[in-house]
Amino acid sequence: MARTEIDRADARFGWMMAAPALATLFFVILFPVLWALFTSVHDYTLINPHFDNYSGLANFRRAITDPEFRHSLGLTAFFVVAVVVLEFLLGFLVALMLNTVQRMKPVYYGILLCPLLMNPVVVGLIWRMFLHPSLGIVNYLLGVVGVAPVNWLGSTKVALWTIIMVDIWHQVSFMVVLLLAGLSALPREPYEAARVDGANALQSFWHITLPLMLPIIVVTLLIRLIFAVRTYDLIYIMTRGGPGVATDLVSYFIYRTAFVSLNIGEASAMAIVLMGIVLLLTAFLHRYMRSLT
Amino acid sequence: MAAIALDQVDKIYPNGVHAVRDVSLDIRDGEFMILLGPSGCGKSTTLRMVAGLESVTGGTISIGGRIVNDVDPADRDIAIVFQNYALYPHMTVAQNLAFGLKLRRVAHDEIDRRIARIAETLGIGELLGRKPRELSGGQRQRVALGRALVREPKAFLLDEPLSNLDAKLRASMRTELIKLHRQLGTTIVHVTHDQVEAMTMGQRICIMRDGIVVQTGAPMAVYREPVDTFVAGFLASPPMNLLNGRLESVQDGSLAAVMGGVGLRLPEAQASLVHQLSGREVILGLRPEDFHLAPERGHPVEAYVVAIEVLGPEVILVAALGHPGNPEIMIRCPRGFTAAPGEKLIFHYDPREIHIFDVATKRALPRPSRRD
Repeated sequence: MARTEIDRADARFGWMMAAPALATLFFVILFPVLWALFTSVHDYTLINPHFDNYSGLANFRRAITDPEFRHSLGLTAFFVVAVVVLEFLLGFLVALMLNTVQRMKPVYYGILLCPLLMNPVVVGLIWRMFLHPSLGIVNYLLGVVGVAPVNWLGSTKVALWTIIMVDIWHQVSFMVVLLLAGLSALPREPYEAARVDGANALQSFWHITLPLMLPIIVVTLLIRLIFAVRTYDLIYIMTRGGPGVATDLVSYFIYRTAFVSLNIGEASAMAIVLMGIVLLLTAFLHRYMRSLT
Repeated sequence: MAAIALDQVDKIYPNGVHAVRDVSLDIRDGEFMILLGPSGCGKSTTLRMVAGLESVTGGTISIGGRIVNDVDPADRDIAIVFQNYALYPHMTVAQNLAFGLKLRRVAHDEIDRRIARIAETLGIGELLGRKPRELSGGQRQRVALGRALVREPKAFLLDEPLSNLDAKLRASMRTELIKLHRQLGTTIVHVTHDQVEAMTMGQRICIMRDGIVVQTGAPMAVYREPVDTFVAGFLASPPMNLLNGRLESVQDGSLAAVMGGVGLRLPEAQASLVHQLSGREVILGLRPEDFHLAPERGHPVEAYVVAIEVLGPEVILVAALGHPGNPEIMIRCPRGFTAAPGEKLIFHYDPREIHIFDVATKRALPRPSRRD
C-alpha cells in the first residue's frame, strides 16, 4: 500500500504522542535490564565497581555451576509448585462454594480481598509475630488444645512449609477472585441441559464446569506461577533464607549475592537466568491465550 | 409416550413473584400442545416445572400417570430444547448427541447407531465433528433438536426453539417439527409467543396470561370463539377489531350493536341470548377478514378509508366505520385492492361473526353455536 503524505504525518504525530511514554518505559524498564545484561558480562563487584574487566560468560558459568544457586533454584521450583497447586485447589473449592452463595456476596468478597490488599512486608511481620516460638498466638492456641509448640521458622524441616502456608494465606484470594469471575461467567443453560440429560452434580462438574473453565484455570495458574517465582519480601521479612539455606528462594539468593557478597556481576547473571525462565513461562502463557481466541 | 397432567399447579418464586397460578391442563398422549402467551405470562415457567428445572410450589404434575413433583429431571424421561439451544460448547456435535446416552450407560454401538439415524433424519451428518461455535443458528437448532430426539424420551418440551431463527428458517423448521411429530407420535409441549406457530403447529393451544390459563382448545376453535378480549386481540394478525359500543333495541324489537352512530344488527339467535344487556356498554369484536366487498355476504356498512397497507398477497385497509373520525379498524382485502384516503366504501359483514364482550370483565358474551 502506497503511503501518502497524510499517512506519514499521521505516523509522525503518533510517534510524537507515544514518545513520552516510550521514553519513560525505556528508562524505567529497558535501561535497568540492559544495564544488568551489561553488568553480567563484566567482573563488576561493589569493591571494584568498574566495567574494566570484561569476563564474557564466566559469571553465567559460575552461577550455573554454583551448588547454592542450584539449590535455591530447586527450592524455588518446589515452593512454586506447592504454592500454586495448593492455592489452586483451595481457591477453586472456595470459588465453587461462593459461586452458589446468593446473599452477602460483597461481604465475603471484602473479607477475601483483605489479605490480597496487604503489603507482603506487613503480612510477613504479622505472621512472624503470630508464629513466634514462645510469644506467638499460634503456639499458644496449639498449647491450649495440648499440642506441643512448633518451631515454625526456626526448624529446617518446617520453615519452608511455614512460608508456603503464609503465602497461601496471602495469595489464595487471587485465585478465588479470578476463578469466581470465570465461574459466574459460565452459561447457565448447559447445566440445565445436563440435568435433563441425566447428569448429577459431580458429572456436571467433571463434564461441563472443568472443560469450560480450563482456559481460565490455565491462565490463572500461569499468572500465579510467574508471580510465585519472584517471591522475595516474605523471605526477607520472615527468615532471611534461613534457617541455614532452608528457605533460600532464588530471588533472595540473588539479593544476597549482590548486596551481601557484593558480587553484582554474578548476581546480574543469575537475575538474567531467572528472567529467562520467567520469560519462557510468559511466552507460553501468551501463546496459550492467543490459541484460545 | 406419555400423557402429561397439571393439576392446580402454582409457582411462587422466592422473591414473591407469583409466576403461575392454579394451572390445570391435560395433555394427551402423543398430543402436540402449544403454550402460547406474551413474555412473562408463565408459559416457560410452566414448561420448566414439567421438566423439573423449577420446583412446584403447589399442585401436582404427573407424567404418564406418575406424580413427578419431587422426581429429578434426569428420571422424568423427558427431553427439553432450549431457546438458545444450550449446547455443550466444548463438545463436538457427536459428543453433544451422545452425552445423555453415555450418562445413561447406553452401549457404544447403540449410541453410534442412534446418532447415525438422528443425523440422517435431521441432515446434520457432515456436522458431527464440529463444535457448536462453528455452526450457524439453524444448524445449532437442529443439533439441539437432535440431542432431544436421540434420547427417545416419553415427551419433548420445546421452549421457544424457533425464536432465534430468521423468518425463512423458522417457517421451514415449523414444517419439519410438524412432520417429526407425525413420524414419532410423541407428546410435544411447545412454548411460544408467536401466534403463527401456535395456529399452524399445535393440535391444541393453551393461551396463558399473567400466570393463568385463559383458554385451551384447538387452534380454529380458539380463533373462532375467543373467551375474552385478550385472546381476541392476541391471536391472528391483524387481530380482531375491538370497539367500544352499546347494545340497543331497535324499532322492530330486535337488538343492534351500536358504535359511533353505526348500528350492526345482531342475528335473532344471538340477540335472544344477550337481550338482558340491552342499553348496556359492551365491546364489539369483528375480525378483519369478516368484512367483504361482495354484496351477497350479509349486511352493508359504510367505511371511510384512512390508509392502506399493501402486503403483497393481501391488502390491509385501515378505515373508520360509519363516519370519518370514528375509531379505526382493520379490514383484510384481496390482492390488487386499491382505494384513496378519505374515499367512502361499502363493505358487507355477516352479523353472525360479531363477538360481544363484557366491558368490565372483558369476557365474551354467549354466542349461538355454529356448525359451518
